[in-house]
Amino acid sequence: MRNEQPVFAAVDRGTATTAVSLVGKVAGRWRLLGSTSGPAGVPEEALLERLRGRLATVDPGTAASLALGAAGSAAGARRLSCVTGAAPEMVVVAATERVLKPLAAAASTAGWRVRPLVLDGAEILAVATALADPRVAAVLAGASDPPGADERPLIGDLGQLVAAATERRPDLVAVLSGVLAEPGGRTEALFQPGRPGPTVLAPSPATGGGEPLRALLDGLRGGEPDGRRALAIATATLADVLQRRVEILEIGMTGAARIAAGWAPGETAVPRVALVPEAALLPRSFSDAHLEAVMSWLIVPLDRLRVRDRLRELALAPWGDAAGDGALLRLAAARAALARLLAATPAFDELPPADLVVAAGGVWAVAPGPAVALALADTYRRAGVRGLGLDHARLLAPLGTIADAAERHAVMTELRDDLLTPLGSVAMPAGLRAGRSAGRLVIRGAGGPAVLDLAPGGLELVDLPPGERSIVEFDLRDPVRFGLRTRHVALEVAGGLGGLLVDLRDIPLELPRRLERRRELLASWQAALWPEVEA
Amino acid sequence: MTRQRAAADWLLEIPVRRLLEGGLEGRFPLPPGDRPLVDPGSAVLAGDPLLEHLRDRRIVEVDVVSTEADRPVPGSRWTPPPGRRRRDRDVEGELLAPVPGRGNRWRLITGDHRVTLPSPVAGVVTEVRPGAEIRVRSEGWSLRAAFAAGTAARGTLELATDPFGELRPGGIDVGRAGSILVVGSRIDAEALTRARAMGVRGIVVASLPGKELRDFRASERRQLAALHPAPPFGVLVLEGALRRPIPGPVAALLERFAGQEVALLVDPPALVFGGADPAPAEADPTWVRIRSGPNAGAEGRVLGPAGLWRFGAGVHIEAAFVEIGDEDRMAVPLGDLERYA
Repeated sequence: MRNEQPVFAAVDRGTATTAVSLVGKVAGRWRLLGSTSGPAGVPEEALLERLRGRLATVDPGTAASLALGAAGSAAGARRLSCVTGAAPEMVVVAATERVLKPLAAAASTAGWRVRPLVLDGAEILAVATALADPRVAAVLAGASDPPGADERPLIGDLGQLVAAATERRPDLVAVLSGVLAEPGGRTEALFQPGRPGPTVLAPSPATGGGEPLRALLDGLRGGEPDGRRALAIATATLADVLQRRVEILEIGMTGAARIAAGWAPGETAVPRVALVPEAALLPRSFSDAHLEAVMSWLIVPLDRLRVRDRLRELALAPWGDAAGDGALLRLAAARAALARLLAATPAFDELPPADLVVAAGGVWAVAPGPAVALALADTYRRAGVRGLGLDHARLLAPLGTIADAAERHAVMTELRDDLLTPLGSVAMPAGLRAGRSAGRLVIRGAGGPAVLDLAPGGLELVDLPPGERSIVEFDLRDPVRFGLRTRHVALEVAGGLGGLLVDLRDIPLELPRRLERRRELLASWQAALWPEVEA
Repeated sequence: MTRQRAAADWLLEIPVRRLLEGGLEGRFPLPPGDRPLVDPGSAVLAGDPLLEHLRDRRIVEVDVVSTEADRPVPGSRWTPPPGRRRRDRDVEGELLAPVPGRGNRWRLITGDHRVTLPSPVAGVVTEVRPGAEIRVRSEGWSLRAAFAAGTAARGTLELATDPFGELRPGGIDVGRAGSILVVGSRIDAEALTRARAMGVRGIVVASLPGKELRDFRASERRQLAALHPAPPFGVLVLEGALRRPIPGPVAALLERFAGQEVALLVDPPALVFGGADPAPAEADPTWVRIRSGPNAGAEGRVLGPAGLWRFGAGVHIEAAFVEIGDEDRMAVPLGDLERYA
């Protein structure tokens, strides 16, 4: 890319929308010239031409210098493209519920839609029917090693049923784990060698906290230019470029990703990745529980039947009805999806806290930045202080497709000011005691110090525009957890569209059970950050 | 010339909905135990037997005597050897899997009640996957829909209401038996079950709310569990869950095929106009329909791009100006529009 055209297009093709960005060399540096998105069926050339036309109108000089002045001239620009498709389906089968749970947990964070089956007490016919379903691409069968007394009588059946399913469907990928994965063992011998679908001997979910099994299952999905894999690569580079610990929370139409990458001088960061289809905006397994979760975040008074119908419409045309009530419904569904993503990835909570949390995915495209900041603060409840950002142009994943690490690093370094929309910072102490006042906060900014009284359970908003930094000093009555347990702490925070959120609410967030009271409370928090909304 | 090209380029930003599609591949479930009656590559006519369906699938264990050259395979058919005097002498079915540690003992899927399901479409069988599905590439043109429920069916297309109308249970009588009814903007579960009881083969409707869909599916499950097999009956929903009329170009198409035999497919959801070539007319590229949002269902002419436009809740979205009837032009989000091709 270094010695080629001074412009390239970054294309992120999702299942719902396609995002296109135009990036060009301006004054010797790569800069984001514009970004847009459209429904998935719209050709990317049309979106690219929209961007080119806009640039030529607004800044004809730059357009001319990049040879983008004439209609259609962007069509020849180099593309960095990635595609995010629907997650494939995997049957996870074990003798008992006890064994199934860790297997299903590993598969469901490896980008597979999981259909869990337990042999104990189940009808064999139902299990065989599920294994024969043409929508199922792979089966993961597992047992403890050594097998428990509860599963021993069923292990023979387990192997025979899965082996029989692969004889019916030779293309079915079979993954054996635990005692079933003994090389040259009795179970492996049941499977025909040389069939089109491989038989894979996998590590037990108990090995390495399940990460080796998860990584293997992720690799079996195929699809190298996968957008979420590229996003993970870009996250590691971003952490390196910013020299900060970064966590990405991506919500898409058919899946979600949680990616954490640390940074250490002279080391290449290896990101921790979880791809969770069940945390999609509207998962295929959408049930009453999912509906309730969306309802619990909704501030508009719509009844359950109406919300269900509108969500169904959203599934049919994810790019439609994005304004007014539709935007609020979308953000409520996004919060519910984010909560599912965080609940499905508890291992990430053991990692050091992130300095910067970034929202990514098409679902955030139409919401104002401050509303996205609040959605992150509502759901990502970890004590500490962190910056919040938004991958507004969906540029990270396409940049992750740059194969050469040094080149990727160089491009992202030059683009660092354009990659993310700064949403602000959130300060979230834990362990506050109930009472009238928890203490005070002194904000030392460019306009002089300001003092804020801290009321437990409240959400305070401090105006801190993008580009500004400020020192905040917490002076609390009792020790609280900010990572460390302390009463006095001074921190530097960065501004953003949402400013500084001083979040003194419970961790985890407790909302009133009564629907009206809950809506009222959510609307009051949202009013300051999304004033155009009429609840 | 340049101006015309620019206008055409801009229209590409509006999502396109294909009105008709050729060579649609219909999928018909073939769960373990069901027997395919067709082979890959064979041609089928509408009404030809497609598969034998077991209504009361169960598993029995049988002794399968085999030779090295004639190894039993899961998914293959099995019948008892002649002259056999064991309990399983009348059992016939599909081999599922060996019983572990029991020598020649196998699990067999069998049942007593079998029905032959006919193909609702004429076409070519592209794939037969025992235990999974049969695929048939249909002849003629197809109209895709949003979703469907029930089973694939075939019947005479009849227009029961106008595109904006709603069919009440009282409006369905036995005179509609054997037809696939187009019922306008919506229908409720009660009318659907009455239609099925009156011998109607299918319903084509613009929208079906989630509650009605759930009620209908529950009724369908009870129907399938009944002793006697019910004739096929399907519901094809063209648009979605929220009420709106059948789109004008689709209504015109259905009107054109009224009185002819059509097939209603469930997977994928579609209406197949068999045999005859409807020779789709050239669609007006500037004619658009508002698919979602406050004006959902309205149709008009798109005038030009409006750029980033501020809508409700302070949301900024790419929009276009649309003229609907005699009303003033309005800005509509591009994502809410669709045009036909």
